[in-house]
Amino acid sequence: MIVYAVPILSQLEAIMRHVLNWFHSNLGLSWAWSIVATTVVVRMLLVPLTIRQIHSMQNLQRFAPQMKEIQKKYKGDKQKQNEELMKFYRENNINPAASCLPMLLQLPVFIALYYTLKHFDFGRGNLSFLHFIPSIKDGTTSHWGGYVLLAVYVLSQMASTQFMATTADKMQRRLFMIMPLIFVTFIARFPAGLVLYWVTTNLWTVGQGLITRRLIPKTPAPVVERRSSRTSPKDDGGSGGNGAEPEGTPQQPKPRASAPRKVKRKKRASRR
Amino acid sequence: MRRIVRAPALAGIGLVWLYRLTFGALFPTTCKYHPSCSEYAVQALRAHGLARGSLLAGWRLLRCNPWSRGGFDPVR
Repeated sequence: MIVYAVPILSQLEAIMRHVLNWFHSNLGLSWAWSIVATTVVVRMLLVPLTIRQIHSMQNLQRFAPQMKEIQKKYKGDKQKQNEELMKFYRENNINPAASCLPMLLQLPVFIALYYTLKHFDFGRGNLSFLHFIPSIKDGTTSHWGGYVLLAVYVLSQMASTQFMATTADKMQRRLFMIMPLIFVTFIARFPAGLVLYWVTTNLWTVGQGLITRRLIPKTPAPVVERRSSRTSPKDDGGSGGNGAEPEGTPQQPKPRASAPRKVKRKKRASRR
Repeated sequence: MRRIVRAPALAGIGLVWLYRLTFGALFPTTCKYHPSCSEYAVQALRAHGLARGSLLAGWRLLRCNPWSRGGFDPVR
């Protein structure tokens, strides 16, 4: 009964109840679709934040090869590595991609929905969703439809990770792909309505990622050519080879395919 | 005695860990600061106790938005 001990939680729950009720009685949506609508509204409110985030993320990905090199250089010293990276950001006017706030703003919504599904008396209203979830209030695994929803959840979480992950580190990316498979065991105990929220928000992330990618033309990695006359061309070819291989980033192949094949030249000397 | 004084801060650190193991683990690392917001919170709670530590952590979370610069920002 933690919800009554912390006044903010009960406030959140009350707000969520009002919002769901509004969708249900004013727009005539079923309870399940009210949850979907609420999720969409929340994500719409977060759009300015996310657009900004995606912008800076793409910017960051352009510089991925250079940053990878810095990471390689200071492999042992995490602190130094970070400081160097931050210096690189400052020099190139990059705003490091993601931030905690947009994700954190969703947390209260999630908690409010959880308690609403737990306590709210939905009356005799229709609690089913698309005929395969009999009740959004019940545990997800209480019906076969729940398993379908969980499968959709795993897929959507993986897909949204593709768009959200800021790291180019292959190992870390792989970990984030495995994460949903572990989490699905926890989530299975939640009410189906909560999983529905999760699936909707993930699908929104995917859709947003697809649209912004289409709208914002990808600029190929900038050629940071502050070429000094002292470097021999032979040296250049060597460093260009190891730098231009951001294996983890999904977007990277695109510019490579469209751009004419040429050896990217990179400067080791560009960093002081 | 010292343990009693530090108990509230420890409870706060426990909450941060709870977040880390649940929601934090669900999403890819999204922090633009180093140390990350949750790590900062733990350090702040440890160094300044529950009240001041929470305020510091809250202020850091607000700073961790798409319009800020991010970067190296340890607890002072």
